[in-house]
Amino acid sequence: MKSPILLSLALGCGWLFSPEVLVIIGNSAGNLGWLAIPLLALTALLFSFNSNTINRVLQSDAHNSEISLLKKSIGKIPAGTLSIASCFPLLILAATALLVTSGYTFNEVFLYWFPNFGFAFLLLGLLTLLQFLPVEQIYRVQLLFVALAGFGIFVLGVYGTLTPAKPLATIFQTPAELSAGSLSSALLLLLFAGSNLFQGNRNHFSKVALLALLVFLPWIFASLAHVNPERLASSTIPFMTASRKIMGETGRQIMGTVVIMGSCAAFTGLSLLCRQKLSELSQEKMAPLFVEKGGQRWVFPLLIALSVGACMATGLAGDELLETLLRSALLLWLLYYCFVSFAAVFVIKKEQQTMAGTLYIAPVLLSAGLAAILFSSPHSVEMLQYVFALLIAGSCFAALLVFIQSQNKEQT
Amino acid sequence: MKRILLLLSIFFFVGTSQLIAADVPTMSKDELKSHLGSDKVAILDVRSGRDWSSSEFMIKGAIRAAGSDIATWSKDYPKDKTLVLYCA
Repeated sequence: MKSPILLSLALGCGWLFSPEVLVIIGNSAGNLGWLAIPLLALTALLFSFNSNTINRVLQSDAHNSEISLLKKSIGKIPAGTLSIASCFPLLILAATALLVTSGYTFNEVFLYWFPNFGFAFLLLGLLTLLQFLPVEQIYRVQLLFVALAGFGIFVLGVYGTLTPAKPLATIFQTPAELSAGSLSSALLLLLFAGSNLFQGNRNHFSKVALLALLVFLPWIFASLAHVNPERLASSTIPFMTASRKIMGETGRQIMGTVVIMGSCAAFTGLSLLCRQKLSELSQEKMAPLFVEKGGQRWVFPLLIALSVGACMATGLAGDELLETLLRSALLLWLLYYCFVSFAAVFVIKKEQQTMAGTLYIAPVLLSAGLAAILFSSPHSVEMLQYVFALLIAGSCFAALLVFIQSQNKEQT
Repeated sequence: MKRILLLLSIFFFVGTSQLIAADVPTMSKDELKSHLGSDKVAILDVRSGRDWSSSEFMIKGAIRAAGSDIATWSKDYPKDKTLVLYCA
């Protein structure tokens, strides 16, 4: 795919249009009311600002990738640890959750006789096969997933906005009180909704963020115009509740397509991101050459498919543990970007001597939000344990890759 | 490519085989339909995690119960009552 804008859209919107983000957005709309709309805009602004800072550094010759930037800032093994621990567990856990959600959606919206678990495995098989195609073609298919998911949300959002079921004054009613749930929703929206926008070409980041706003703003308004805020806030599938109210059975079918396409887009987007990380590790001499050459194309998709399949077959999706693990993996993902952001700010400070203090705003906000999410969660102890366990596993894996790489170097 | 397809096929069947659980007596959809509303049958939705949170529907009259707490809540039902549990 030649167009960098399309490339950015394909990668950046993968996570954005997934059912995970749709749940966060729906619950936030319920908890915060219309305030979710400016908050989403603030999310886009925060990540846009931060992305520009990182981009400034990555455009220089000295740092051509995030891993190279991290390696020079915190060292080889910590950089490898953060890169591995932040993205591989997220891919496996998010894929497990998303595929199971897609399975239920397919079963309940399209074919009642088709087993949900069977559909989840079928989708896993198909998405794994997709990974064996040349990267160019994967991007094309990914763009199709993103386009279908985004278009579906947009259509429902615009239709729902044009046919409100409540008067405008009720829709724009400010919540009587902002509870702990509202704060938590605000943080989740601020941090998790935009987190994967980091992928792709950062030169076009603002365009991706703008597109996301264009899709989600009417959707939030339409959800509030058709569903009671309490219902949106407490639902585990607010997107389905809203689409049914907006357009009836047709709305459910459109949203069903969005859920399946969004899940495919998130899985493929995260897979591409992990493969990119493997290549970068190899280019930075932090992993052997075969990881970049054949490993990331042939071995990696199979290993991921086996891991996700094992998670689904052992019933992880039916366990509350999955949610805590997934939240921990998302926190690690944010932690990685906090480190990348701070590293970029420190490089700018070092190179330019004088620097605007505003550059610190985004990474400091990200770090504070990350800490707030972690410590306000009722599962904060477990989450901390999982984060540490994943970091330890990541460090072992990073050290192993560096060791194999150094052995290969000695032999050649 | 053949190997990959073979691996994926095995993987698919191993995964779905869990659906065909063995020793527990099962009730067909039609059989359950005929018992809906009966006092002699209690339908319990023991889905949890994503199995619960991703689903839009619940069988009419079903009560949510935690599968892990079966020892606790099963005492609340008379012994002659048929308990129908569904988890997916």
